This record gives sequence, structure tokens and C-alpha cells, in this order.
Amino acid sequence: MVSVSLTINGEKRDAEVPSETTLLKLLRESFNLTGAKLGCDVGDCGACTVIVDGKLVNSCLMLAGQADGRDVLTIEGLATADNLHPIQRVFEEKGSLQCGFCGPGVIMSAKWLLDQTPNPSVPEIRDALSGNLCRCTGYTKMIEAIQTIARDRATQ
Amino acid sequence: MRAFEFYAARDASDAVALLAQHGPKVKVLAGGTDLLADLKFAAASHHPHVVVDISRADDLRGIEMIDQGLRIGALVTHTEIMSSPIIREQLPALVDAAHTIGAVQTRNLGTLGGNLVTAVPSMDSGPTLVALDAIVTIAGPDGKRQVPITQFWTGPRKTILKTSEILVDVIIPKENVGKPTHFLKFGLRKGQALALVNVAASFHVNGNTFKAPRIGLGAVAPTVVTAPSAEGFLEGKPITPENMAEAGKLAVNDAKPINDFRASATYRRDLIAVLTRRALEGAYELHMKRKAK
Repeated sequence: MVSVSLTINGEKRDAEVPSETTLLKLLRESFNLTGAKLGCDVGDCGACTVIVDGKLVNSCLMLAGQADGRDVLTIEGLATADNLHPIQRVFEEKGSLQCGFCGPGVIMSAKWLLDQTPNPSVPEIRDALSGNLCRCTGYTKMIEAIQTIARDRATQ
Repeated sequence: MRAFEFYAARDASDAVALLAQHGPKVKVLAGGTDLLADLKFAAASHHPHVVVDISRADDLRGIEMIDQGLRIGALVTHTEIMSSPIIREQLPALVDAAHTIGAVQTRNLGTLGGNLVTAVPSMDSGPTLVALDAIVTIAGPDGKRQVPITQFWTGPRKTILKTSEILVDVIIPKENVGKPTHFLKFGLRKGQALALVNVAASFHVNGNTFKAPRIGLGAVAPTVVTAPSAEGFLEGKPITPENMAEAGKLAVNDAKPINDFRASATYRRDLIAVLTRRALEGAYELHMKRKAK
């Protein structure tokens, strides 16, 4: 067993879990944060993407013990009780997602990209999404949404 | 995942002590991009009883110039290589190689040391470091030792590391920091592909001749290898397109590619000739671009 104490979406959380627990499993099963999804479980699909200490990572490839003391942001940390996060709102308006399974991961990657690069080029967007597999949309509407968000922010 | 005991090492010497205490059924965890997949899906016989997490050992981090050359800590991530000002300026081939690995998420987790220790023949960090005559530092219970990177690997997924040893850092010798180098990878798609062949070439320009040409070839032998026949041919020769093309053809003889479901050996041999020539051209372009500045 390992004891972990970490910050998730701004809140201090503690748990005691078996050593072999991944961060993804910790989020989903100990804290009922089921936004990050279990897809391939080997770091190819990006459905489990979260941000740890400002870095975009696959939560399926990190042990809970490695996340001890870290600051984790999941998809649940983006929206407020009243409003969707602007990225979520534009994805909804543009119909950028279909089945939605990849969505939490894609939106976390989009958030990370826009935090790093406020006005990304299409190749930069494609590079940032290359670790998120979507088998519904072909990515075009996601790329358009991310460009729209960047433009909206620039004109605000 | 099967149960294991988990220990987090404070630093390199703590890691070595933990490994010595718990070996041999122990695995070292750094970025986790390979190990976590193995822990989940590898055969039970390969399963460790203990996992030693070295990801918090800060003395295994850092990119800096030391007397011996450019030191890159084993825990430096692929993203950190891509964003390092000194590497971007002096050795952009390392940036290109790092960029072809995985995707943002795995590049943020995965480490240079992990890529080398996993010792998959198609590793993208290998060829450039081979072409730069990199040296690796290993720490164990009896202290530290250094070996040329080509002696670090002994076969697919095999290295000279003993149970209680860890890789500490990789050093690019001082005379090769800034050496014109170029890396190329050929995969079946752009994103998250394993290399069919990856190649790096480096040489110093002496007048208009090749000096200390080095070629690293990946995915075409049990380990990343050099191309001695091509290197020997180029040494002292004029820098011409014909000589670069001839070196590409010679490099084919230095490799032993296999047939597998990704490509035939014949196709891989053709790729070696073309990519070696292009990598030599790329290194020369970098030299000319710097000269024009």
C-alpha cells in the first residue's frame, strides 16, 4: 500500500491504495473523477490525459505513488458550477466531438496547448493532439475549435 | 497489474542502495512509459516483486556543460531536450530525434535514460548519440563507471547494467558539442510510429573534406550500431553529393535488418542508403547555415 496526498483540481485529497494503482485508477475509483477514461492503458490513445504540475501526461502511465505531493488538473477542474470552460463551450458549439470518449483527453491537450502557445498554427495543433486518438471526427472540427478559441482570446 | 512493493528513491545513491537490497526481481521506474505497459501486460515470469521509483532523484536531472562536455541527466525528459536552449543551438538533431518520440504526453513523461535502458533497437534517442560518440555514466554499489554508448547495449532490450546499477547521465564529449549532425526517422505514419529505420550522421568540416564522420543506424540490427565502412570511406574525402551517396550504399553493409510485419529487410536496406545520404546532406546544410550567419 502507498499513502498519497495530492492536490486535485485545487482540493487537497488523501488516499491509501495498493502500490500498483495508477493515477488514472486513483482518480476514477478513489475520488470518483471519471472524466479521464481508461482506453488503451499503455499511453497510445490519450483518453486518460490529465495535467500534472503543469505537464500534460497519460494518467495510465503514472503510479499513484508518483503523484504523491503533485498538483493534478482533470477535466472536472475546468468547468464551474454555472459555466462550461470556454474550450468546452466552443467544442460543443462546433460539434467537435461525436461519441465523446476521447473528449476529456482532447480538451486537456487543447488547454495545455493554448496555455503554452496562445496562437497555435495548424501543425502545432496537430502535434499537440497527436497523442489523442479520436475515431469519430477526423479531428478537423477540433482543430477549427482550437483556432476559434485562440482568435476569441486574442480579440478579448 | 500484479502487486509489488514500491519504494521511492531520494537520489542516485539511495536508488542503488534500494536495488542492491531488493534485487534481482526489481524494476527501476523513471518515466514509466515502457515500464507501466510491461507491468500491465508482460508475462508473469517477468513480473518484479519490487519497483524502485527514481523519478524524484533530482541528481539524475539537468542539462549542463561540464569539463567533459554536455551532460544530460538520465531523467531528462524528451520535452526537456526539445526545449533546452543549449541543445537547440548546438545539437538540433537531438531535438528532432526527441520530437519523433511518442506524443506530447509520453514525451513529458518519458526520459532519455529510459529510452536508452529499455534498449529497443528502434529507439529514436540512440542514433544521434551514437553519431556524437556519447559516453554514459553508470552508478552501482562500487561507485561510478563510464562506457562509450555503443558498448552500453548488448542486444534487443539488453544492456550491460547489472541488477543494482542505474544509468546516471549521458555526456556528449566537448569536441562534439556543436558538431554538425542530422537525424532522420522513417516510420509508416507521422504520429506515434516506431522507426522502420532511423539514422543520424555527423562530421566536422575540414576545409572541404569530411573529418570524424560518424553514422548511427537504428532498427536495423540487434542494437543501434555505427556504420564503420561508410565512416572509413568518408574520412578525409571531399564533401560531395557523390561521396555522400556512396557512403549511404556502404552503410547498408554495416546493418543486419530483419523482415517483420512492418517492412521487409530489402526495403529497410534501401531506406538505410537513402536516409544515410540525406542525413549527411542535412548535417552539411546545418554547417552551411551556421557559416552564413
